[in-house]
Amino acid sequence: MTMTLPYHRVNVLTGTKAARIIEDASEYAHLVKRAQRPLLVLGSWSLTTTLGGKLLIEYGVEIAKTLDIPICATAHTKKKLLELGVEPASSYDIIEILNHLKDPAWKGVKKEGNHDLVMFLGFRTDLGEQGLSTLKHYAPHLKTMTLCKFYYPHASYSLSNFRKDEQWKEFLDNLITNLKSKEA
Amino acid sequence: MAVAAKKKNLRKDTVNEIIRAEDNWEPVGHTPMPEIPDLRNWDMRLMKTYKPFYAPMCDLCCFCTYGKCDLTGDKRGACGIDISTQQARVVLLACCMGMSAHGGHARHVLHYLIEKHGRDYKINLGDQIFVEAPHIRTVLGLKPETLGDLEKAMDYVESQLIHAISSLHTGQEGSALDYESKALHISMLDHVAMEVGDIAQIVGFGYPTSVADTPLVDMGWGSIDKTKPTILLVGHNPVTAVPIVDYINEHGLQDKVEVGGICCTALEVTRYTDRAKIVGPLSRQLYFIRTGFADVIVTDEQCIRTDIAIEAAKVGTALIATTDKACYGLEDYSKRETDEIVKDMLDGKQTLIFDPDKAAEAAVRVALELAPKRKKELVTPEQVPDLAKDHRLCNMCSQVCPNLLPVGDAIEAAKNGNLQPLTEVFNKCIGCGKCEQECPRHVPIFKMMQAVAGSETWKVRAGRGPIMDVEIRKVGAPIVLGTIPGIIAIVGCSNFPEEISEVADIAEEFAKRKYIVVLTGCSAMAAGMKKDKEGKTIYEKYPPNFDAGGVLNIGSCVANSHITGAAMKVANIFATLPLRGNYEVIADYILNRVGACGLAWGAYSQKAASIATGCNRLGIPVVLGPHSAKYRRLYMSRKEEDDWTVMDGREKKLVDTQEPSPEHLITVVESKERAMVTMAKLCIRKNDTAQGRQIKLTHYIGLHKQHLGTLPDDLHLYVRKASDIPIFFKKEVMAYLEKVGWKEKPVLTLPTLIGTYPSEVPIESVVH
Ligand code: SF4
Ligand code: SF4
Repeated sequence: MTMTLPYHRVNVLTGTKAARIIEDASEYAHLVKRAQRPLLVLGSWSLTTTLGGKLLIEYGVEIAKTLDIPICATAHTKKKLLELGVEPASSYDIIEILNHLKDPAWKGVKKEGNHDLVMFLGFRTDLGEQGLSTLKHYAPHLKTMTLCKFYYPHASYSLSNFRKDEQWKEFLDNLITNLKSKEA
Repeated sequence: MAVAAKKKNLRKDTVNEIIRAEDNWEPVGHTPMPEIPDLRNWDMRLMKTYKPFYAPMCDLCCFCTYGKCDLTGDKRGACGIDISTQQARVVLLACCMGMSAHGGHARHVLHYLIEKHGRDYKINLGDQIFVEAPHIRTVLGLKPETLGDLEKAMDYVESQLIHAISSLHTGQEGSALDYESKALHISMLDHVAMEVGDIAQIVGFGYPTSVADTPLVDMGWGSIDKTKPTILLVGHNPVTAVPIVDYINEHGLQDKVEVGGICCTALEVTRYTDRAKIVGPLSRQLYFIRTGFADVIVTDEQCIRTDIAIEAAKVGTALIATTDKACYGLEDYSKRETDEIVKDMLDGKQTLIFDPDKAAEAAVRVALELAPKRKKELVTPEQVPDLAKDHRLCNMCSQVCPNLLPVGDAIEAAKNGNLQPLTEVFNKCIGCGKCEQECPRHVPIFKMMQAVAGSETWKVRAGRGPIMDVEIRKVGAPIVLGTIPGIIAIVGCSNFPEEISEVADIAEEFAKRKYIVVLTGCSAMAAGMKKDKEGKTIYEKYPPNFDAGGVLNIGSCVANSHITGAAMKVANIFATLPLRGNYEVIADYILNRVGACGLAWGAYSQKAASIATGCNRLGIPVVLGPHSAKYRRLYMSRKEEDDWTVMDGREKKLVDTQEPSPEHLITVVESKERAMVTMAKLCIRKNDTAQGRQIKLTHYIGLHKQHLGTLPDDLHLYVRKASDIPIFFKKEVMAYLEKVGWKEKPVLTLPTLIGTYPSEVPIESVVH
């Protein structure tokens, strides 16, 4: 078996439990739809990364809107979300939301119970990978899913390293379409 | 008498003798010269609210031959250790390294100065500093009078280190919290070691002290006159740098030889002479070495590139290593005649010289001889496309960049004549050189950055050392009452996540808002690397006093002890609490009443880990940049869930304040904007008066609105009474509070944790 290396080598896994790589948007959508209480966490790179002429955060908003998924706006993403007409369910910073998520008894951003699937979009990959490490070790009660174009070994589900942004855009567009579709 | 009691008495007698307990400058508190168990209950109390948060860097333990052991999730290693305990163990190891680095530096300086001046050489920090060593006073209970007394402090620090390191051995500690307590202990001692080091340097080398407006010195490689022989100092320890300056002065070579420094030795040497130059922070080390501007490099200790001897040889720069910490496999020339050393160095030999005077003479003489024979040319913009001609956009360089920079794309643009993306990369580059090393087509990426680096120069105020007692007297009340909104300490290394100029932006934002901004180390340099429209840096625009709106360069890494020391002095000079052996009371005072917050935006080293952890034990919260998630451990609360009950020291009753202040002891944030909002919040203290709270909330709300677009969604937690509401935001805050069903919170006369956990310290001790 060849080992998949993360795009940024500083994130190389030193361990035995690595993410399942999924490249099929419908499979991702299926996992999201199956979740009882998904959460989308947005990081600062969603404000500076453009894809297909749009800011990454706009993809985040579209994904969230499909199934009314609550958003946790970390860093200073809240301001842009408000400009886009979206009120995030919470604005904990990244470490703070992780600190809550690792407690199975936490009530979640909507006070309905802790989340069972947490999606991450737009983080520095090193900070993202460290955060996912926390959840891998300390939050067996939930699954993590990354939406960026990089392989994240510490996630439960990750995309592979997309060589071209077009592939990533296509994936996100397909994910949104699949999430919108009524089929499970 | 029982054996245990006898043992305790014996230790007490020894301690009393060391600290001269009979001198009655202050009563001796409960924990003079504490050992690992002595402040454990304080640590446990802190960690009850600020629980360790772990982000493992590695899922394995590779420490012993049972392993490698996989510790993922709830697995345990062959020795029985779990993932949290292993993380805490690595954190303790890092703190021991950090403390040892400062301690090793302090020992070396002390040894050198005692040989020079003798053990009885008096400590005199000028006519404005009487509380000369708040850490040594508080932790040991000793009022140091001589260099010999500083040795006593180091003896004690070292004795604690051996116990801490021994606990790292396999089959010792089995609790993450206990490893954390040891890390807090060692890091507290780090501040003692730093204080020893800097006091020794100030008195032994005659650095400025008891003065605020130290000279403005030149910074930037453009400030080095490359037509002159140039000596580059790299590291932290001034023991050889000072004799180099002396040799130059004694031989009338001031206008003939350039002396510049990288990293903290630069800050040290510019405290000794304002003619020396600061080349730049750590992130510019490799860059400057590769320009070949330096004729001689003199290394001392810490944060030096470990391949510096190889790099120096590549560009024909001579090299002298001067400390036992970093010998690079070089031949020891310490006992050779200087003429022989100079001859061998001119023949290309790199040398190890432990004798500072000999090293100094050799460095200057070699530089004078070598300079005329060397060429010093930078890559020009015109040369760049040709240098990039073999590049094929494989992006190997981008993949290995530890700052995640799009290097390949920048080289692609540069190849086509557009240097803007490469300029942007350079501004965020932490200077590791990995991109160039990895390139399969041998594109000289790092060298090409010379074409975009520019030769701008800046002014930085020379490090000033301790805060003066008179300054503390003036600002003590406004800090504790909250009318000066806080002390912002911007410290640490240059592993910055984005542009280096972010540090200047953050510092200026708080200076404008009338916080007291203190800086050290590479951050003190970075803050000076931005000019306004009039061409002025932050050091030229803001006053150098420890007062509202002041911007102060305190000095090098070891000068961090003066920042924590200033907080201790507030407790002592303003609140008249005795320092002597009284750590819990002083830390409790700072945690509950001194609105200070650290920022280590580019922390990378183990020293930064111990400095920050030492701040935490003393009740000072610290904000870290995103790279610092790799330190593995933070201390975090959960504001809504946690219990914020404290004791009212005057009423002697428990009060549930419902107020998460300070919210965290150490946390990581992702962006500069979030950092500023978080720092403003972390300056809030339970002791703030209504007027002080209004001012602090004005800044918290203002920064939050500016960067996150709304009022803070935890604002209701920080409004105790309607009188806390800032007038400027009154209407919208009232509307918000009504919406969330806010209720007034209990009033408190004197917040303290003493009395909320098992401690020998009586509650009366906190009432001053
Ligand atoms: S590694 Fe070399 S060839 Fe590859 S993208 Fe970078 S500069 Fe170009
Ligand atoms: S030298 Fe700079 S650009 Fe190159 S890999 Fe290191 S940080 Fe990145």
